[in-house]
Amino acid sequence: MLKDKTRRLGRRDFLRYSAAGAGALMAPGLVRPAKAETAALTMHTWSAAVDTVQSHLSAFTKETGIPVNYGNSPWAQYREGMVAKFVGGAPLDAMWVSDSWLPEWAEAGWIAPVDEFDSLMKYNAEAEDFCTDSMTYGGRQYGLTYYTDYMAFFYDEAKLKEAGFDAPPETWDELVEQSLVMKEKGIADYPMMLAMAQESWLIEFISTLVYSHGGRLVDDNGMAVMQDPKEGAVEALSWVVDAVNKHEIVSPACVETGELAGLKSFAAGNHAFAMVAKYRLRMLNDPEQSQIAGNVKQAMMPQGPNGSHATVGWMRFHGMSAQAAQDKERAENAAKLIEWFGGKADGAYTFQKLLFLDIGAGFGVKPLFEDPEIRAAYDSYGDVDMIQAQQALARKKDTVTPWFGEWNDTNGSAWQSAILGNVDPAGAVKKSADLWNELKDSY
Amino acid sequence: MLFLAPVMAVLGAVAVFPIAYSLYISFFSIKLTRPNRTPFVGLKNYTDLLGDEAFWGAVWRTVSFSLVSVTAIAFIALLVSLLLNQEFRGRRILSTILLVPWAIPYVANALMWKWIYDSSYGALNGLLYQLDFIDKYMVWLGDQDKTLFLIANAFVWKEVPLATILLLVSLKSIPSDLYAAARVDGATVWQRFVHVTLPAMKPGFMLVMIYETMMAIRHFDLFFILTEGGPGSASHVLSWHIYVETFRNLSFGSGAAMSYLLAIATFALSYLFIRTLGRKI
Repeated sequence: MLKDKTRRLGRRDFLRYSAAGAGALMAPGLVRPAKAETAALTMHTWSAAVDTVQSHLSAFTKETGIPVNYGNSPWAQYREGMVAKFVGGAPLDAMWVSDSWLPEWAEAGWIAPVDEFDSLMKYNAEAEDFCTDSMTYGGRQYGLTYYTDYMAFFYDEAKLKEAGFDAPPETWDELVEQSLVMKEKGIADYPMMLAMAQESWLIEFISTLVYSHGGRLVDDNGMAVMQDPKEGAVEALSWVVDAVNKHEIVSPACVETGELAGLKSFAAGNHAFAMVAKYRLRMLNDPEQSQIAGNVKQAMMPQGPNGSHATVGWMRFHGMSAQAAQDKERAENAAKLIEWFGGKADGAYTFQKLLFLDIGAGFGVKPLFEDPEIRAAYDSYGDVDMIQAQQALARKKDTVTPWFGEWNDTNGSAWQSAILGNVDPAGAVKKSADLWNELKDSY
Repeated sequence: MLFLAPVMAVLGAVAVFPIAYSLYISFFSIKLTRPNRTPFVGLKNYTDLLGDEAFWGAVWRTVSFSLVSVTAIAFIALLVSLLLNQEFRGRRILSTILLVPWAIPYVANALMWKWIYDSSYGALNGLLYQLDFIDKYMVWLGDQDKTLFLIANAFVWKEVPLATILLLVSLKSIPSDLYAAARVDGATVWQRFVHVTLPAMKPGFMLVMIYETMMAIRHFDLFFILTEGGPGSASHVLSWHIYVETFRNLSFGSGAAMSYLLAIATFALSYLFIRTLGRKI
């Protein structure tokens, strides 16, 4: 019997009944339309703090009922991958953006300003100025903070004392003097760690050296001023060239040393001074990761003869795609998502705090410096007042323009060529300035 | 013909169309970051390259790298293949060990050499220091006078096994009668090598020269992982130049033009090898 029944409900019958059923469902008036579901948003980030992002996204969906499709890709290929997504019209509502790419993406019309959303702009009152500046292009603001940090100056207190110094150097010249004493006493072969390899960090090192020498690379009108000897760049590069070739306090291998390799070398106790991202302080004072844990202190960035303790700060932020901005409901939902991450969630800067506590990533909102948990965490490995004081002197990169990506490689090569002695510092900086102005004209 | 259609369609989609399309975009000024401005520029992308100092610098470094690498590969592979052509104890084990570099992926090979050449903790410095050849750790990849040769060394290490196999096949195909006849004629070892072995190895040499030259000219992985074109522009070869132009500057038009020039140069060289070495086989 069973066999007969099965045969009776054959393939043709199944298709017939299915078609009839589908037709009935689609017939107008026969079926009430299902309750409209909120369209899912699409968010793409680079592969950092993935678990934290995912759990924060789940909380967002639970709170708002807005589902989010989340994707991530490695930092090294992120920019190129995102450009391909933009050009190909892939669905995208919110994403992480580096301040270095903002002009490029804004000029191309791929990301949209968010300054029409009061719900987002209210957070500017509590953000560091350089953070807001770094998210602004052409007078429009394009996002809210994901994380921010700056280039910091660290020293090994034990080595400093061993050399007979009570305080870290205040100026770049003092750093040379202290380093030479350390070399003489055999404390370190190359007391200063500088990572000048051709990689994405290089522009941050270069900008810091130039800013602390009281200069800038580009003026407010976007014209290169780096070639002007009064503008700090030539002076800064000359200092590096001398530090490597004349004083021999920086290793000639600096041109092949990336930020991570330099950090490891400093953590291994090979140097007394280092310039690395501030968030590395946690790792440097972690006994499981660093041989000089407990001895690493932060000081204000040394200054050049006409300079200051200024440093470079950078921003990574949550941005909104232009395609999301074109649809009112989608844009509002995307703004809610951006606020959930870059602003307050449940009345607190939850995500920035989570990121700081999880991986030590810096935050761009001042009230978090007063958070007891954050102060306690900072106190366990650093001086929170020093951290805050240096952050207040951080400035955005002045080279961030639509042609930054095209200029950056040549600029890095020019600085390296000067360090290698192929060209004098003034010539290297002039080459970089000439390309800058050429690119500016072409845009 | 009908049965070939699916294969033809697939080949057309994945091979013919991309090649033709890349030629097409090489006549436009296509910069992905300026999606609304992609003017037709004709041959300008090509003619601009002729006056581009950085491009010619990259060409010169590519030629230097290729010459050094291919010469070293051919010479070392010849010696190794002659060795492996002899009967001795442990020959099979030695043959297997010699194949190891070939089995290592390019990226893994590059990472391995990055560690070896590291100026702080690299094995090369450690070895030379322990043998008292150096009194302090040296800078290797960061020294512009050494960079290209060190990268060539890593490339040679990876490529020698395949070249050895190709030459060994040629060696094995030489009839033993030829050697016997040469001995009867009183030929010395050197004379037998010059007049019997080398001429018979020409097909193998041609293959090695064509394949390794193509590999050297287009090689990218080692430059990407070891130096990123640096220090300065010491290892800024053509493949790196194309990568920077296409994927960092996102200038697809000029990047495609450079790629075509590289392809044409590779074809021309291969043709040259076939015409010179091939004719005499």
